Amino acid sequence: MSATASDIARPAARRSVSSSLFKPFAYIAGGRSLLMGLAAILVAGFLGSLSDTHFDGVLDMHTGLAAPTSVFLAEGIINWLSLSVVLFLMGKLVSRTAFRAVDLFGTQALARWPTVIAALAALAPPFQRLVARLGDQLSSGVAGPTAPAGDLALGGLVGIASVLCLVWMVWLMYHSYSVCCNIRGGKAVGSFIAGIIIAEVISKVALSPLLRA
Amino acid sequence: MTRLPTNCPSCGGQLLVKSLACPGCGTEVDGRYALPALASLKAEDQRFIVQFVESSGSLKEMARLLGVSYPTVRNRLDEIIARVVRAGTSQEKDDECDSQ
Repeated sequence: MSATASDIARPAARRSVSSSLFKPFAYIAGGRSLLMGLAAILVAGFLGSLSDTHFDGVLDMHTGLAAPTSVFLAEGIINWLSLSVVLFLMGKLVSRTAFRAVDLFGTQALARWPTVIAALAALAPPFQRLVARLGDQLSSGVAGPTAPAGDLALGGLVGIASVLCLVWMVWLMYHSYSVCCNIRGGKAVGSFIAGIIIAEVISKVALSPLLRA
Repeated sequence: MTRLPTNCPSCGGQLLVKSLACPGCGTEVDGRYALPALASLKAEDQRFIVQFVESSGSLKEMARLLGVSYPTVRNRLDEIIARVVRAGTSQEKDDECDSQ
């Protein structure tokens, strides 16, 4: 063996900005990610309640429907649990290694943190004005709803930023699944896509009574 | 002491031990001895195994020392286990060929 005992004192791995943003679960998992992730889900829910922005499905974000704050908070928890449980079962089916539930559930919770940014973006006044104006026009039956060009442009930017946040979130969810269950390549992508579809249906079914009430 | 080479610099094949010497009396033994499976691993994998043993086999402790997450350490260990198994299997095949 060419290793020595002193090698164990090697300094902790250095993280680049890109790996912190896109491959964070190489460094964070377990209970710490679970606490941070749950905090992010609740903050996103609370911010969403300020602008009536719902995360009403594993991959969904919609604005406009007023509801109690508890509904916004519950949406995030239901979305997280739906996907985590499905991916946990997928991992058990597909992975050859033993993995810890706390790693998958924790990193899946933390993977939802871009929704905090999306919920913050939805608080932007031009976006709020645009949503309110278009909502009023549509509910009063206006054939071709209109809005000021400035609000339309800024509202559009917020929309694009939100979509990018959701894409980032999906990438983090995949990264979490791949790292925690030690699955790579086509098997990982295929089972993840199947898991997302199943979890989306489950979350929609679970959330429908809440949103109807 | 220089690092033990495990692969042929010419064709990349697994090297065998051909000669062993006693540093005390100078006795030499010649033959064809397979390298142990662990010795056929890359130096960084061997370093990982030493750290793992020194951490009393605690993946949590390894994760803390290396500054990475628990699943990252466990995945690395899985990769090394797969390499050790492969090395062991290829040695068994070589032994079978030699005995025939």
